[in-house]
Amino acid sequence: MTAALSGTARRRLALALALAVAVGLPALTNTYYVRLATGILMFAALACGWNLVGGYAGYPDFGAAAFLGIGAYTTGVLMARAAVPFPLALLAGAFLAVVAAVLMGAVLLRLRGHYFAIATLGFMLVLQQLAANLELTGGGSGMNLPVARSFTTFYYWMLGVCALAAAAGLFLPRLRVGYAIAAIRENQAAAEALGIAPLPYKIIAYSGSAFVFGLVGGVYAYWFTFIDPPTVFNVDFAIQAIVMTLFGGPATALGPVAGAIVLKSLDTVLTTVSIFLHNVFFGALVCLLVIFAPRGLADLRRARGGILAALRAALRENRI
Amino acid sequence: MPLLAAQGLTKLFGRLVALDHVDLAIEAGEVVGLIGPNGAGKSTLVNLLSGFESPSEGAVAFAGRALDALGAPAIARLGLARTFQIAQAFPAMTVRQNVAVPALFRGAPAPSVRAALREADHLLESVGLGPKAALPAGALTTPDLRRLELAKALALQPRLMLLDEVMAGLTPAEVDAAMALLREVNARGIALLVIEHVLRAVMGLSSRVVVLHHGRKIAEGPPDRVTADPAVIEAYLGPGPASR
Amino acid sequence: MSPELQIALQNAINGLLLGGTYALVAVGFSLVWGVLNVVNLAHGSLVMLGAYVTYWLYTRYRLDPFASLPLTGLALFGFGYPLQRLVINQVIRASFLITFLLTFGLDLLVTNLALAAWTADVRAVTTPYSGRSLALGPLALPLVRAIALLVALAGAALLQLLLTRTRLGSAIRATASDLEAARLMGIPVARVYALTFAIAAATAGVAGGLISLSFPIFPAMGAGYTLIAFVVCVLGGLGSVPGAFLGGLLLGLLQTYAAAWLGPNFDNIVAFSVLVLVLVVRPAGLLGRTERFRG
Repeated sequence: MTAALSGTARRRLALALALAVAVGLPALTNTYYVRLATGILMFAALACGWNLVGGYAGYPDFGAAAFLGIGAYTTGVLMARAAVPFPLALLAGAFLAVVAAVLMGAVLLRLRGHYFAIATLGFMLVLQQLAANLELTGGGSGMNLPVARSFTTFYYWMLGVCALAAAAGLFLPRLRVGYAIAAIRENQAAAEALGIAPLPYKIIAYSGSAFVFGLVGGVYAYWFTFIDPPTVFNVDFAIQAIVMTLFGGPATALGPVAGAIVLKSLDTVLTTVSIFLHNVFFGALVCLLVIFAPRGLADLRRARGGILAALRAALRENRI
Repeated sequence: MPLLAAQGLTKLFGRLVALDHVDLAIEAGEVVGLIGPNGAGKSTLVNLLSGFESPSEGAVAFAGRALDALGAPAIARLGLARTFQIAQAFPAMTVRQNVAVPALFRGAPAPSVRAALREADHLLESVGLGPKAALPAGALTTPDLRRLELAKALALQPRLMLLDEVMAGLTPAEVDAAMALLREVNARGIALLVIEHVLRAVMGLSSRVVVLHHGRKIAEGPPDRVTADPAVIEAYLGPGPASR
Repeated sequence: MSPELQIALQNAINGLLLGGTYALVAVGFSLVWGVLNVVNLAHGSLVMLGAYVTYWLYTRYRLDPFASLPLTGLALFGFGYPLQRLVINQVIRASFLITFLLTFGLDLLVTNLALAAWTADVRAVTTPYSGRSLALGPLALPLVRAIALLVALAGAALLQLLLTRTRLGSAIRATASDLEAARLMGIPVARVYALTFAIAAATAGVAGGLISLSFPIFPAMGAGYTLIAFVVCVLGGLGSVPGAFLGGLLLGLLQTYAAAWLGPNFDNIVAFSVLVLVLVVRPAGLLGRTERFRG
């Protein structure tokens, strides 16, 4: 019977099944796997969110954790010091992240390539120092959030954020806004000649990814109950998002999700062995991916002549 | 009142005078040719008119509006479209999507995405790219890319199109086809400024020709009169025996 | 001399001395960026390696840190050449995101291997003359840092001479200017790239050696220096050794005065604010050009 279904219908069915499993997961397995899944969903959300500004708009944001930190600390401060209920605090954090993105984006999105990447990194480091110096955020010793009862709640929150981020990536290319963002990424001068004023659209993409990172930050803070500056304002979040996106395929909406699932699972196994191993694995993986599969693994599979030929082609194109 | 009125346009790059007090007027529906040897300032003029560069001196008015404070996107939305010498497509997007972009952003009332894509298909048919609508633009050949440029400019529903050397590198047959296409476009009421080195095209299309040399306008008039002008000949071929 | 003036002048001295170190850190980074168009995120870890080499040469073999600098430079040269030739050259013509990620991965690898080899313990190089300072009237000139500034100056001068007066220097500048043209003229570009990177690594190593005398050493110390190098390059303009030097001095002064007025934990904030300001207001930097290395 399934043989009679078309490609799109089959894909939609697979997606629906995956969603059903995802929703029902806590009932199906024990807490260890639910926690693992929450972590995977978190990075899937980050990867999808990063893809909005890095993949679709073409502006690689290396300091995206700035917005994660804003979300985390806003949620933390509101819950710990003002007894604001979690959903409200979460939204406030994400909203603040968007405000920061609009203000910073108006300045930073005029920069190109290298400069934008490092400037965003610098922005994140500044926020890290600010958080470490302010009383409100608990300074360098971090801050505690109220403890939550069940953590299946976190699983569902993360699932929701991930679904939102993935949906954004799925629907953006079909919207008018998506056309502008794609045009700007492909050829900014041509886009301007066709009536598109670039900056507002770049800010939209940047704010979109900031919103996702802000949401993740808020859930992360409540989930881990404790946050401090170097943990949340950490370049690692952006790097992992980038590598997962590269691994799964930067041009697709669900590629980042696939990349997150594979890499995060591998990563968890390695981390249980040693942190050092985790970092070395990651560093080596980044190097290998970038050398042999710069356009993502998915591209490699699709290439003609088999994988080996594709690897050689990648080298020939980029080496000197 | 002319559709486009440029007065005293001057552009300096440091001490290099790229344009020297050039006046240009284009009436609605007119076809004006712009010729001149390399380095005469033709592309600079196009960049100034379309808002990609700002004049050191002088002013441009389009459809009665001053273009001073407007950037390239706003000028495009006013109905002044331009093509680029090296065709600037969006390579990863399909041909159809490429044309849908200007349709979506030319200004109010903006069509829906679906309507824009349908409009793109019509335009692609009219320039002969219909069968290639679903291909990624990066896969097109140069002549096809030129046609895509044209279709994109048309999708802006412009009143004036600045065509920057669209015939460059085309075979005579392709030049004929392009000329026919441009006549069709003009027949719809769109004014054209045709910047060209392919003189056959300029002569065949324009009712008036303007000649630039070293940033200055040295001649203006009907095509046959301009090509016979000794100053124009000297500009292209250098000083003749008579002037030595 | 009034106390305010004394404090201001002392800060100026400290700032310039700090800036000298920053300058030497940045010069190699600027070279790699200007010539290879690679923003080397692993630059800081090269500085870190230089610091450790100096440290081990001192603690194991009793070699005076200043005297062992040439060895440190040589060691890092030997590390940098194959790194570029065999690894970074594989992606050098790809988009900047790719090279950026590669150098990030390399940084991660080097830093963590160092962590595994030498633990996270913070170390320092303390010589008998470490704490001494010369008295300039009421002001103090820390001896070690003053010598470090002189070494940095000498190193930068040597580099500038190499780039402008030698055949290798011409080859480097030609390759920076136009890769294909250089290749067509018979310049072995892969080797030139490797040599350039190796030279940059050597300067980073020497900078690390100088740093080990005044600052704490630990495997993760590199990241801060990479950011500093970036800010200095933006300040002083890409592709200019004098620019990098002046940019370094300026940043040193800015950070020292900011620390005096705002407190010691604001150095990143100062660096970043300066960075954004310069990028927005004067993208070519104070002395340089935004495009590739011209010498």
